[in-house]
Amino acid sequence: MTDVMFGILGLFALIGAIGMIYFANTVHSALSFIVTVLSLAGLYALLSAPFLFMVQIIIYAGAIIALLLFIIMFLNIREEHRPKEPNKLIFMLIAAMVLAPMDVLLFKAFSTISNVSNFDKLTDNFGSIKRLGDELFNGWLLPFEMISLLLLVALVGSIVLARKEERE
Amino acid sequence: MIVVSFMSYILLAILLFSIGLIGVVSRKNIFVIYMSIELMLNAINLILVTLSRHFATMDGQIISMMVMAIAAAEATVFLSLIVSLFRVKRSINIDDYNSLKQKDTL
Repeated sequence: MTDVMFGILGLFALIGAIGMIYFANTVHSALSFIVTVLSLAGLYALLSAPFLFMVQIIIYAGAIIALLLFIIMFLNIREEHRPKEPNKLIFMLIAAMVLAPMDVLLFKAFSTISNVSNFDKLTDNFGSIKRLGDELFNGWLLPFEMISLLLLVALVGSIVLARKEERE
Repeated sequence: MIVVSFMSYILLAILLFSIGLIGVVSRKNIFVIYMSIELMLNAINLILVTLSRHFATMDGQIISMMVMAIAAAEATVFLSLIVSLFRVKRSINIDDYNSLKQKDTL
């Protein structure tokens, strides 16, 4: 059952990603990326990370893609704004051929990582939200606070960047 | 019958990362480049969660939550940058965004 679900979700993730870099229309790309994001949320659920499943759906599918679609429609991107890309497929094939040996190398490097696998047996309450919160606020408190500071800086920076320039 | 193990997830994440990298180097639409960067961050998140399950520690899941927060911060800054660039150049082609290039010396 888990194998079948992994196969279906992985296939959807790959199809969504390939569609995202293939479609010429920007809105089609963004809608195709949502498929990938939701499939990855399902994979997190399979990997016993229920909180990340919810966060992935809320942050990515809910916030980031919605913001992206809002910006695309707000800018009113029409046909003449889009760049002409006649050699897109050739560039993609060349990049894929260059990257294929690197992928094989990465896969081989990962396969040497550890022989001791805890993949099938889980310790008690692994992945529960309570244990995640305990780990986050005991061991990772300083990075958590720094992330909040980073979000504040990003908020101020986006306001400064998107403000209309005053002409004098 | 393929038995799903640790390495299947790693293979899927490596493929997704490669697709994101292909999108960055081969497209000219700035929105697609942004989404490809997000796809690469998502692939790294998948590797982190898989390793967290593999070693049965929760640290990978926490680091991937932090990657998601950084991705959200990046989204706000990148999209406002696109808005202000589009206002000046009226284009979403990255070849038009060459304000930092020294045109006379090249």
